[in-house]
Amino acid sequence: MPDITLTNVTKNYAGHGHAAVSDLNLTIAHGEFMCLLGPSGCGKTTTLRMIAGLEHLSGGEIAIGERVVDSLSAGTFLPPEQRRLGLVFQSYALWPHMTVERNIDFGLRLRKIPEAERRAKVNDVMEKLRIRDYAARYPSQLSGGQQQRVALARMLAVNPEILLLDEPLSNLDATLRLEMRAELRRLHEEFRTTIVFVTHDQWEAMTLATTIAVMNGGRLQQVGAPDDIYSRPVNRFVAEFIGNPPINMISLDAQSVLGGLAARLFGKLPLGGTSKVASVGIRPEEIAFSATVGAVPLGTLKLESIMPTGGSWILELSLGAERLFHATHTRPTARPGDVVDCFAKAEGLHLFDADGQRIELTEIRAQNAAQPIGQGRPALLPA
Amino acid sequence: MVMIDGRMTRGDAGSRFQRLRHQLAVARRDPVIAIGLVLALLFALLILAPVISILVNVAIVQIGDAARMRAPEGAFTLYYLTRAFASRMSAILLWQPLLNTASVAAGAIVLSMSIGGMLAWLINRTELPGRGWFATALIIPFMLPTWTLALAWTTIFKNRTVGGQPGWMENLGFATPDWLAYGRLPMIIILSLHYAPFVILILGSALQRLDAQLEDSARILGASRRRVAFQIVLPLMRPALLSSGLLIFADCIGEFAVPYVLGLPVGFDTLSTSLYRAISTRQSGMAAVMAAVIMAIGVLTLYIDTRMMREARRFAIVGGKGAMNRRRPLGRWFIPATGFAVAFFVIGVVVPLLTLFLSTIMRVPGRFTPENFTFDYWIGSNLDTVALRNGILLTPEFWSAGLNTLVIIGAASLASGVLGLLVGYVVIRSPFAALGAFLRQITFMPYLVPGIAFAAATLTLFAVPRGPIPALYGTSIILILALIADQMPFASRSGIAAMAQLGKEPEEAARVAGAGWWRRMTSIVMPIQKRALASAILLPFISGIKGVSLFIILAVPATDVLTTYSLRLVDYNYTQAANAVVLMIALLALAGTILINRLTGKGIAKGLES
Repeated sequence: MPDITLTNVTKNYAGHGHAAVSDLNLTIAHGEFMCLLGPSGCGKTTTLRMIAGLEHLSGGEIAIGERVVDSLSAGTFLPPEQRRLGLVFQSYALWPHMTVERNIDFGLRLRKIPEAERRAKVNDVMEKLRIRDYAARYPSQLSGGQQQRVALARMLAVNPEILLLDEPLSNLDATLRLEMRAELRRLHEEFRTTIVFVTHDQWEAMTLATTIAVMNGGRLQQVGAPDDIYSRPVNRFVAEFIGNPPINMISLDAQSVLGGLAARLFGKLPLGGTSKVASVGIRPEEIAFSATVGAVPLGTLKLESIMPTGGSWILELSLGAERLFHATHTRPTARPGDVVDCFAKAEGLHLFDADGQRIELTEIRAQNAAQPIGQGRPALLPA
Repeated sequence: MVMIDGRMTRGDAGSRFQRLRHQLAVARRDPVIAIGLVLALLFALLILAPVISILVNVAIVQIGDAARMRAPEGAFTLYYLTRAFASRMSAILLWQPLLNTASVAAGAIVLSMSIGGMLAWLINRTELPGRGWFATALIIPFMLPTWTLALAWTTIFKNRTVGGQPGWMENLGFATPDWLAYGRLPMIIILSLHYAPFVILILGSALQRLDAQLEDSARILGASRRRVAFQIVLPLMRPALLSSGLLIFADCIGEFAVPYVLGLPVGFDTLSTSLYRAISTRQSGMAAVMAAVIMAIGVLTLYIDTRMMREARRFAIVGGKGAMNRRRPLGRWFIPATGFAVAFFVIGVVVPLLTLFLSTIMRVPGRFTPENFTFDYWIGSNLDTVALRNGILLTPEFWSAGLNTLVIIGAASLASGVLGLLVGYVVIRSPFAALGAFLRQITFMPYLVPGIAFAAATLTLFAVPRGPIPALYGTSIILILALIADQMPFASRSGIAAMAQLGKEPEEAARVAGAGWWRRMTSIVMPIQKRALASAILLPFISGIKGVSLFIILAVPATDVLTTYSLRLVDYNYTQAANAVVLMIALLALAGTILINRLTGKGIAKGLES
């Protein structure tokens, strides 16, 4: 069964200064539900299209299983029609001149499958995706969600070993999205295909994927399980991109109150080599109003406003000109204008060096144990 | 291409070779580049080569001139240029025709823009009664071939200055002066009637896009109606006005049929008739100069137009969402305004078509007595005429001209429609931007070259054998080739628009599903583009039926189409027969346009605009 292996994959477009994708190394294991996540223009769709063969490489190699499908060094290129995979487009790209049934049947016809078998297969897929009733309709007569299911059915009918999805849920409304998300999960389990899914929506990625690959500026940032990516972002970009409301990022800076506080807490931490903590991220839900073991005091902040989001609340806190956001699932008792003592839970702190790379707390702890520092030792570093 | 990857930047020969090999592997799987190259080659031959060859002919000694000029054939010479621009003959050869052309064009622009502007405003901004009907009816003169009107004019106003059957006025006892019967004035009037609907279309759509809130805002700030009209509406309409003016100018420069019918009899030459005269008297050097002059004017006009459109983009009206049409009651202008619209319809449509029709069923022109009417000229046989002794419908030449029209123009339209879609395909899909840009530009080139100059250019190139291509003069192939080239600007534009609208995803989806190129074209691209293809074939077909200038140069009696056949009949003074043929062409063009609009579901106005 095929893994998809991308080795040093690079894509340049003529006339563009920087590479759309550069030096990407990624292995997508069989049966995985891999999500390529990143802001628009990060190269995720280009990567997907290169796997499909709709774009060719400018450097590197892509292999599907044992088969090298595109390689600069070997000078090979296998066109998409021979790669035997499925791709669902963001716009669905249903053929407007064919009925739903014909759309689904098209790939099977190309494979010269006998009529009876084809009919059975088409019916089966339509049944599974609950579009049986629309068999004779044209795409323009369908709603967005129905079109999306036809697009999926069209690909699933030919039993691809790999299914590529390019933001297939972005054109749907909220309810349909949820429904289709469940549907996709179910399909993944039922068909056992490898799914590569492109999205800019972290929520979608978190809920669907088994593995997430975060990309930015054409470069791979981090690959890992959804939980991993959220709780241990490897750099500032990932930390800031994942999470809603976004992480509170405080740069160590004596000019600002919070920055000064952070600087006092973390600035002098001895780390291996020359790297120093340059910024601290605190997840909004990791701010607390009471001290817990290992919590870091953030000082006394003023509650500016409360934004209910239905079942949860976002609190805007201020210290001078600076703002912090706190997310909670318990109804806040404080009123806007109140002053509250704030703490950051230890496990919610993310430290980054000047290059934006993550610094592990364990690393600090280890060094701290070896080389105790004097006065003003932060509370999060128990001796 | 710069490889970002550190290992690739070393740029050793190996990696360059690898890249090339990889590119070839990619290209082999995608025929777009191959198709693009074939198209580029084809258009270089069909479009670029004729234009270049005529430009070259301006400055080399032509066949037959060698002895007189004491220079070998093909040698470099400035003789033709000097003769045209700075000799005792220049006034007759170039300056007078140029002046005539310019004055006719200027007159036509002023008149058509005043008439068309007023009508556009009446239709779009006032409560003119029956404005929905007028919006379509007033466009009809633009659908008729220009010389329909010209022939109707001569039928009525012709005088004794030229031979043949006299005009109606003459027979009714009014002697029409030459200035009314021929030359500048009737040409200006006829071209104005023809192009006024064009102004209605362009200005009408600009007026419709104009947000009424822009006017309201000015009114609220206290501006008077007059001030709003002159300081808000007019400046915003300026791009549309200038553009339609320039396009009319470019069309008038290349106009051949009207001066042929109304100018030639009294020696009123325009650039196009001078070019025709030069060709028919085999002065290919002078013909080349005339063609080059016409081309230069065409290029210049369109250059100015593009420059101005670029300027005009600054005027792009933001957010046309509230573009509700505010209409104004006509008040005491009700009767004059309605009368004006009716009059335009009567003069531009009813009178010409009725005149032409009546002229075909009258023995003696302009005598409205019952015994003078007959259908002999349509269906009679063994008439007591010198030649053409059968009614036109019983004349074999008519039917063969009709068949030629169908075959020649049909083949050319079919070819250009398909080629246009292929151009669109390559332009949208080609991984090399340069190839797409080249195709886009070369297919647009014939638009800069008025038909008659282009025909002359084609004749220069293909009249004699060139390499593997035999001499094509006198065959229908040369007509088809010239027509294809002539229709490419429209065909490629609509092909590009259609392919751009389609996007590449439906085809990519088919690719991923496993469909090869041929399968993708036949079951995905072509079926989806069915309508676009139909209109890309039919619209050029209609304009081909109306067209004169290409055929007048390239057709011989054996390859007569309806237009050239009717002009031949005009030359022989078979007025009834000629008018009958013209009437049929006019009706064909009209019916065809309406059919296309039915087919494509566009309003008539929109269909013509593109």
